[in-house]
Amino acid sequence: MPDWQRLVRRRLSGLTLNAAERDEVQAELATHLEESCEVFRAEGLPEYEAVQRTLSQVADWKDLQRKIDSARIGKDTMTNRVTQLWLPGLLTFALSMGLLELVQKFGPRPIILNLDQGTPVLMFYTSWLLILPLAGALGAYLSKRAGGSVRMVLASSIFPVLPFAVVFLIAIPVGLVIGHNLAHHIVTAAFFTMGLGWVLAPGATLFAGGLLVHFLFSRRSGFHGVTTS
Amino acid sequence: MIGTGIKRGTAELAVLSVLERGPLHGYEMARRIEQQTKGTLRFTLAALYPMLYRMEQRGWIRGAWEISDSGRKRRCYRLTPAGKKKLSPLRKEWAELFGALKRLTKVSHA
Repeated sequence: MPDWQRLVRRRLSGLTLNAAERDEVQAELATHLEESCEVFRAEGLPEYEAVQRTLSQVADWKDLQRKIDSARIGKDTMTNRVTQLWLPGLLTFALSMGLLELVQKFGPRPIILNLDQGTPVLMFYTSWLLILPLAGALGAYLSKRAGGSVRMVLASSIFPVLPFAVVFLIAIPVGLVIGHNLAHHIVTAAFFTMGLGWVLAPGATLFAGGLLVHFLFSRRSGFHGVTTS
Repeated sequence: MIGTGIKRGTAELAVLSVLERGPLHGYEMARRIEQQTKGTLRFTLAALYPMLYRMEQRGWIRGAWEISDSGRKRRCYRLTPAGKKKLSPLRKEWAELFGALKRLTKVSHA
């Protein structure tokens, strides 16, 4: 028979309850599964089938974990969003901006690419880009610890570039439409160069950090098979 | 398709009703509900416990660890006075809803 206590502890390791409450929930659910499997066995099912039918009671352990967290703590969706997205996202934003400030003051000079004479230049703070995955990983870790879904975890990691993305996607196109005196070729060039320098490049490095944390956590809480004695 | 609110409402009514007859642990509660509704209402672990915890949070039920005759440690749930108070209007609401649906479907089939 599987070690149900161990199985539930592994599957629900990300519960954000305090240690005593988490142990209590895990023990209660493990007892339920244990009893359920015993009844299937008593009804004459072979062990493998009894285990499979017992396990089929939970289709998505991560979803169950979120629901239990929400029900036990009494947190509403808004509170969840604060702890799973806004807080980790803002911390990632503050950290990445702080790092940029430090790199600008004390770091090496940026790589400057002048794509075309007379158009805005593209500046890459390579040392900043190299350490940004750490900020992305921190955001992802905090979101994951708060029980965030994959979407929340990855959004928290790329949070610092989202305000820039909004500015470039809204402000610059609007500027192009209403600013009759603007040289359109310069604004269009600015859209691409600044988008690349402030959104795409840092976004990719932040995302890499977030993705790494996501995979590490997924491997830790993943299903490694049912152990039978 | 039955909405989440309706499903949750019927599930809560089922839990409160079955606990009215005495304290039960989660597995036994699910088994009794299934037996008494002849399999119409079935609770998987994933559906049952988040709901029990939510109802406990609202103060309708209270769980406490007990040791069974077989020596197994289980968490038994009891109806609280607030839960007992909730049960009566809930029953009335659902009786009205099912009565209305019955009348409606009879008219539709006439």
